[in-house]
Amino acid sequence: MIDQQNTESSANNPVFAEYEARKKRLEDAIQLKKPDRVPIAPLIAIFYPTRIKGISNKDNMFNQAETFKAWIEAAVQHNWDTALPPMGFQPVKLWELLQITQMKWPGGQLEDNTPFQWVEGEYAAREEYDEMLSNPNSFAVKKFWPRIAKALTPISDMIQMEPPPPMLYFSSAYSLPTFLGEMTSLPEIRQVLKTLLAVADEYAAFKEGLASYVTDAKNQGFPLVFGPQTITAIDWVADVFRGLRGSMLDMYRAPDKLKALVDEFIPYTIAAPMLMDTPFECKRVFIPMHWGAAGFMSDKQFAEFYWPSFKALIIGLVDAGYTPVPLFEGDYTPRLKYLAELPAGKVAGHFDHIDRKKAKEMIGDTMCFWGNVPSTLLCTGTPQQVEDDVKELIDIFGDNGGLIIDCNMGIPDEAKPENVQAMTDAVMKYGIY
Amino acid sequence: MDIQLLKEAVVEMQEEKALSLTKQYIEEGADPVSLFQVYQDALVEIGKRYEQEIYFIPELMMAGEIMNAASELIKPLLAEGPEEAKNKKGKVLIATVQGDIHDIGKNIVTMMMDLNGFEVKDIGVDVSKDRIIAEAEAFGADIIGLSGLLTLAFDPMKEVVEELKVQGLRDKYKVLIGGGQMDENICSYTGADAFTTDAIAGINMCKAWMERVS
Repeated sequence: MIDQQNTESSANNPVFAEYEARKKRLEDAIQLKKPDRVPIAPLIAIFYPTRIKGISNKDNMFNQAETFKAWIEAAVQHNWDTALPPMGFQPVKLWELLQITQMKWPGGQLEDNTPFQWVEGEYAAREEYDEMLSNPNSFAVKKFWPRIAKALTPISDMIQMEPPPPMLYFSSAYSLPTFLGEMTSLPEIRQVLKTLLAVADEYAAFKEGLASYVTDAKNQGFPLVFGPQTITAIDWVADVFRGLRGSMLDMYRAPDKLKALVDEFIPYTIAAPMLMDTPFECKRVFIPMHWGAAGFMSDKQFAEFYWPSFKALIIGLVDAGYTPVPLFEGDYTPRLKYLAELPAGKVAGHFDHIDRKKAKEMIGDTMCFWGNVPSTLLCTGTPQQVEDDVKELIDIFGDNGGLIIDCNMGIPDEAKPENVQAMTDAVMKYGIY
Repeated sequence: MDIQLLKEAVVEMQEEKALSLTKQYIEEGADPVSLFQVYQDALVEIGKRYEQEIYFIPELMMAGEIMNAASELIKPLLAEGPEEAKNKKGKVLIATVQGDIHDIGKNIVTMMMDLNGFEVKDIGVDVSKDRIIAEAEAFGADIIGLSGLLTLAFDPMKEVVEELKVQGLRDKYKVLIGGGQMDENICSYTGADAFTTDAIAGINMCKAWMERVS
């Protein structure tokens, strides 16, 4: 393996040159400048690289080093321009330790070859809006944590113990050790303290693994596809607190409270990438978009409930020097007129389903188009069909350089390797500028 | 009873107004069957607005909520049981296929199928092909609805259709697949009769199938 310092210090080093060429290719496309050729950059591919090596999804999740190795091998094998995102690897051991309820995973409650999956639910009730707004920290610790992380329940219980009022009992050299000792020596609190220590150790190891993946990828010539990630405030409320059903009904039953909570969250959605910036050295920020697509809500509702927090997030990130990479899940064709308002050449829009020609017409001068070979083709189609589809994308979007090729939602787990390769081959055949 | 006023309140999502009018009309001795019919008519209008892309998921959710609350008020007054009161359009067995635990879409479809007069049996998420077929047989389903959000759902959907063939049951059922990633490729790959990414469009397909049968 090539030493990182050497790669960085020598512009004559071929791997370093390749890294720089790939980085520039992607950045040019995003800035709507013509690169040397169309970049090919899968946004995510969590299980595909390990599946083709015969590694189960469970082993993928529980063996970070093996998974990262497979991810880099896939980038080499298919000649991608980027390495898969480190944040795509989930800290499943922390989920286990914390007894997370919002997720099910292979090796946990699911079969070994199933992907991890979010458990949709109304984790907070409509009646709790006032508390979430007026006293969010207290709500989080006292009520919310036990719902999503069962292992934290004793902390929540401890804080709610009556007495001791901390100001009185925790106030002197005589009383503080005694009362604090009484509380922390309870068996359930001792257990939670052990769990927290295990979480800290596990997280340190997890993060070290991320850092060495980033270095390994760079040393093999691959910049990261993206570094940190964040979520639009309205999606955060809908995903995590109120659920789809809850938040959609809130548009009628508690619209002002829904909007107030979204507004509260906006600054933190912008700040989130800065909090997890190290060790990525990559300013592209991934934003999975969940509920703003056509079919979920009307244009009027999108304008009222969804667009304000999304636009604020994009502007906030751009102002802070980041390049937002929203993944527009679902069909965003009716929302194109909004996207046209975003600053030109600063955002890379990754599309799932979209009318390609309309997208070119309405946002072709605003943002780089990233995507969107159908996952159904990658899983069940032929290499020829994939090639034809990539050619269509290049024909439509290639003229100003604002195009990056990927599947519509990253590489699907069940993709056929020959179809994944066909995507690259088609780029090499039709995508040289 | 001001039929138009009530219907408009339901269609315009004025939940409180609709329910207070319903209570008022019940107290005034309105015929419960006619009252129920107003809600059915309102639902047809809501469905139309959905197809015209005026209404979306929030309105379908609200319609379900308002219908349920109204049923609570009206049902006790109906002479026959609630099941008999509906003119059932057909029987649909619905499930999210093996490996996938997503259920938002399936739940919306189940609710709308029920409100549209189908008898629906929802057997949950992550359901094996054997159980789907056994339940469809026991239920006497006309249609099997297979839901899935993930790409992993493609193969289990195909396996259900293939197993139906193996058991000589393929012609007995219409199979509809639904979910965000469904398209023509997957429809032909799985051998399903149709695919949908839209609840109401799916229900309309089922209605058309049942009309052809009857």
